Amino acid sequence: MILGRVIGHVWAARRDARLQRAKLLVIRPHAIYEPAFPTRHLVATDDVDAGVGDDVIVCLGAPARASLGSNDMPVDAAVLGVVDRVEWRADAMQAAGAAPGIKRALPALDAVSK
Amino acid sequence: MFLGRVVGRLWATRQAAGLAGRKMLLVRPETAAGREADRLVVAVDGLAAGPGDRVIVAHGSRVRDLTVGADVADKDIVIGIVDGHELVK
Repeated sequence: MILGRVIGHVWAARRDARLQRAKLLVIRPHAIYEPAFPTRHLVATDDVDAGVGDDVIVCLGAPARASLGSNDMPVDAAVLGVVDRVEWRADAMQAAGAAPGIKRALPALDAVSK
Repeated sequence: MFLGRVVGRLWATRQAAGLAGRKMLLVRPETAAGREADRLVVAVDGLAAGPGDRVIVAHGSRVRDLTVGADVADKDIVIGIVDGHELVK
C-alpha cells in the first residue's frame, strides 16, 4: 500500500464493462516513492468516497481487485482508506542506513500533514 | 492504472504468436501535471481507442487475463477511453 493525495477525477464513458460503476480518481503518490512512479500519478478506483485533496491509502495489485468485491475486475489500484492522521519521525525518514534497505536519505515527505 | 495519450499505432509483420492479430497502440504516459512523460508504452487495445485519445492503461497479468485473454503477450492494457478529467494544481 502507498500513501498519496487525490488530485482529480476521471470520466470515461467507454471503459471495460466491469468498471461501469467504478469511480475513478487520479492520485499523486507522495514524493517518497519517486522515482518508483515515473508518471507521478495513478488512476485508482474508489470505494470509500474520497474527495479531491484527501490523503489516501492506495492498494496495488491483487488486493485492489479483491477490495472491489470480485477478483474479476481489470484494475491494479484501489483507494482503501482516507487518512485522518499520519505520524512519522524525521530522523527515521531522512537518515541513510536508518533501516535495512535504505541506502540513501529519503526526500522529505511533502504535504502529508495538513 | 495511469493516464496516457495514444500517439500512434504499431504494426509488426514478424511477431510472436501471443501478439498476432492484436491491435497495438503507442501510449505516452502523462505526468500528474498534465505533461507527457518522455517514454512510450506499447499497450494492447481492449476497446477501440485510436491516436489522439486519452486513455486509462492498467498493468498486470491478471488484468490482461480478464480483458484480452491469457494468451496475449503484453501486460499493458487499455481499459478506458477518457472523456474528461479534472486535476487540481
